[in-house]
Amino acid sequence: MQPGRRNLCAFILFAAAAALLIVAPASAHAVLLESSPALKSAVSGPDVPVKLRFNVRIDALRSRLTLIRPDGSAQALEISKQTPPDTLLAEATGLAAGAYRLRWQVLASDGHITRGEIPFTVTTS
Amino acid sequence: MARLLQVFGFLSVLFRGATLTFQSLAVGGIVFLIFVVRRADEDSTALRHACLRWIRRSALALAAMQISYVLANSIILRQSADMPLRDVLGANFVLAGVIGIAAAFTIIVLSSSARSSGYIDLLLPAAAIIASSVMTSHSVARLDYRAPLVAFTALHQAATATWLGGLPYLLIAIRQVQSPEVARRLSARFSQLALVSVAVLASAGFMLSLAYVGSLKAVYGTSYGAMVATKVLLFGLLLFLGALNFQLLRRGPASSILASLKRFGEAEIGIGITVILTAASLTSLPPAADLAQDRVTGSEIIARMSPHPPRFGSPSVQELPEDAYAAQKKAFEVGPLSTESYVPGQTGTRPNTPAEKAWSEYNHHWAGVVVLSMGLLALIAQAGKISWARNWPLAFFGLSAFLFLRSDPETWPLGPVGFWATLADPEVLLHRFFAVLVIALAIFEWRVQTGRVASGRARLAFPVLIAISGALLLTHSHSLGNLKEEVLAELSHIPLAILAVTAGWSRWLELRLPSENQTRGVMARLWPVCIALIGVVLLNYREM
Repeated sequence: MQPGRRNLCAFILFAAAAALLIVAPASAHAVLLESSPALKSAVSGPDVPVKLRFNVRIDALRSRLTLIRPDGSAQALEISKQTPPDTLLAEATGLAAGAYRLRWQVLASDGHITRGEIPFTVTTS
Repeated sequence: MARLLQVFGFLSVLFRGATLTFQSLAVGGIVFLIFVVRRADEDSTALRHACLRWIRRSALALAAMQISYVLANSIILRQSADMPLRDVLGANFVLAGVIGIAAAFTIIVLSSSARSSGYIDLLLPAAAIIASSVMTSHSVARLDYRAPLVAFTALHQAATATWLGGLPYLLIAIRQVQSPEVARRLSARFSQLALVSVAVLASAGFMLSLAYVGSLKAVYGTSYGAMVATKVLLFGLLLFLGALNFQLLRRGPASSILASLKRFGEAEIGIGITVILTAASLTSLPPAADLAQDRVTGSEIIARMSPHPPRFGSPSVQELPEDAYAAQKKAFEVGPLSTESYVPGQTGTRPNTPAEKAWSEYNHHWAGVVVLSMGLLALIAQAGKISWARNWPLAFFGLSAFLFLRSDPETWPLGPVGFWATLADPEVLLHRFFAVLVIALAIFEWRVQTGRVASGRARLAFPVLIAISGALLLTHSHSLGNLKEEVLAELSHIPLAILAVTAGWSRWLELRLPSENQTRGVMARLWPVCIALIGVVLLNYREM
């Protein structure tokens, strides 16, 4: 084989091996460290402050908080612009008693997207 | 969109691994051209052109990977967060991608023009490529010590590119130059550069480990720590091969060492790719220092790893959940999730039932018996005492049939799901593919062992496939949570992966090294021992 063609073969092998070897799914790495309301907790309404703290810097402008009401309807929560770099702050107002879910999706500063869900219950104060 | 979400995790690691690989090739080539070739005192025009050609190709592939990553991540972000395009374009990963793409195209343009002077200006876009990669690394998102961590990551990646990315160019150079003495000089220069790179990447890597792993307990107690330890072990393997190269350069006459140098270089490239892919897999995990809860303790590892009699009795198919995939989907929908943070498209996990664990242990233990027998027979065959021992690769047929029957019990022929229906499931399809791969291994290696193939590239199928299997084990999926069962499973897979990588590349060296090289004999004994040890590890595999 000609040296040029041999090099081409080696290069293709190198690239193909690189592609083949990573055929496994994987995840990003912004993980939720603490939340308020906490997972499966009961909080008193009608106004519930929301605070989520992560292990890394979060791009708050490109992150989302959505509240799923007991009837299944969704409401986007406005994320406060003045927050520490690892924290998302918002306020859910006028909540009646019932089971809610807080869905979050964050973009970490390194470009990874992560999401999760926090079920919690609102009780009448 | 739903389909894109499903494969998103797969795509992001695929692009990350490929980006790191091509980045290393492009930057490593530029450093090689400037610091190794340029200082060559002979006329090296042909060699320079060959290097430039491969630098251009690597830069083009890098640009393609970066464009793909930015597009995939942007589509996911735009769709999943219902975000205006203007906001997506301002994201940090888009900016990093644009810098990387622009730098790659700058390299293509600069390396295309004919010139008589040096190529020092290529270092600027090379630095931009490293900067773009660092912008999407862990260091940028850290809360504490951000600036030093960014600097250490940049040093770590630049040194890796110089060393591992430069290696293929050394092989190209050795092939290109006519005079053995010139090839030897180029190799000696590259060795010096590699020594400095190794010192830099090890020091920077140590500092990064202090920040991301934090403690010895996190090394064995978390997936991240265990993967870092694996990287260090593979790095040790690379250093061992590098030391053999270094010795060669200092001792033998130029004409006799070049063939050995090339072969060691090939093995180093292979192990180097494995290390880079392990690194790509690491970027998908949260650093160990962030996960203080639910770590695996030393006593839990000892309890799990201590020798136990193998399980040679299997639970019946009826004892297993009827449809494991439906059960997992249901567990994901109704919760609770075993991990509270996940990437879009990631499915929830469901703890295995005792019957499923027993089923899996039985599979591993019988596979261990077969693999241990193969390793021992290969050793006996090498001793030349028993001629039929050479047929040891035929045992792979049994292993393949066993995998086909037992890896997916809910599918044909053991379970209710029909053969054709299973082919639509990627996981089952992957298992079926492995069963076919094992048959291919059996045929190739049996022909080699029995003398039916005495030369040619077919002989290399066995070592390449074994090494790829080892690397696959290191890049499998990770959960975002610190799931004890997952960490324990990972700890049992890591020795298998390292043994497989060692077996693959030692067999490669046995086949490729010139007969006068004494290391060849050592390699010939090493790989059967590794295969036998894989069998021993499999025999002690446990899930409860």
